[in-house]
Amino acid sequence: MKKILLITALGLSFAFAGSVSPADNAQYQKECASCHFGYQPALLSKASWEKVMGNLSDHFGTDASLGKVESEQILNYLVTNAGSGKITANNNTMQITKSPYFIKEHRKISAKLIEQKEVGSLSNCMACHTTADKGNYSERAIVIPNYGRWE
Amino acid sequence: MKKTLCFILLAFTLIHAKEFNAPMKTYMEGLSAEAKAANPSFTGFDAKRGEAIFLSKHTGKKGTEISCTTCHSTDLKKGGQNVNTNKPITALAPSVNSTRLTDVAEVEKWLRRNFNDVFAHEGSALEKGDVLTYIINQ
Repeated sequence: MKKILLITALGLSFAFAGSVSPADNAQYQKECASCHFGYQPALLSKASWEKVMGNLSDHFGTDASLGKVESEQILNYLVTNAGSGKITANNNTMQITKSPYFIKEHRKISAKLIEQKEVGSLSNCMACHTTADKGNYSERAIVIPNYGRWE
Repeated sequence: MKKTLCFILLAFTLIHAKEFNAPMKTYMEGLSAEAKAANPSFTGFDAKRGEAIFLSKHTGKKGTEISCTTCHSTDLKKGGQNVNTNKPITALAPSVNSTRLTDVAEVEKWLRRNFNDVFAHEGSALEKGDVLTYIINQ
């Protein structure tokens, strides 16, 4: 019995691997995802989101400034749903791509596949993770342009 | 009779396409008063001047050439693409995208952001009014 439970638990943990809660906040979608992919809050730590939201007028070289009220509401959404654990471990920068876990997971992707125009950079999740917008980054849903499935 | 009706409808659509809604009119009047205060010889906003601003090329924060058209393209009736993220941008022309220039808060937000990115300063009332007059006529 214990064994069955263990196997079930193990199976469940695998099933959930590569998934985060979708970014289902309408205001976040409107204000942030109008310019770029709506990165799920769980992909960065609370400290990281505070840094991002603290400097929106120079957001990776672009003015993405918001009104005070909108900014506070979005920060609240992000920190309430911020990530913890392996995805954000040892990464309090503003970039998801600086997370050691993220780097490890993408280490086998060649520069050629990343730099091609269909992808451009590792920050373009949807280019290969076909269900990234649903928070699903599982290997089964990966299709790399000019390469194919990654399994 | 049918023809006349068609003409009236057409004329109405054309006029309608160039009209700001009430909150936007109030906003434009505010810009107008500001422009007049800055320069007493100001007589009104001008779509031609706005177009020139829209097409003018500058050196952006990243050292590369940038203009409004970098992301919005030169045909406002067609969509554009964010130059940094490649995310599509819907058409700016109100004649094909009726939601454009209807929400004062949205207009203020994007003018502030985009003027800073392209021109490295927040637009003056004259510049903003001219650009909006250019876009509303598209």
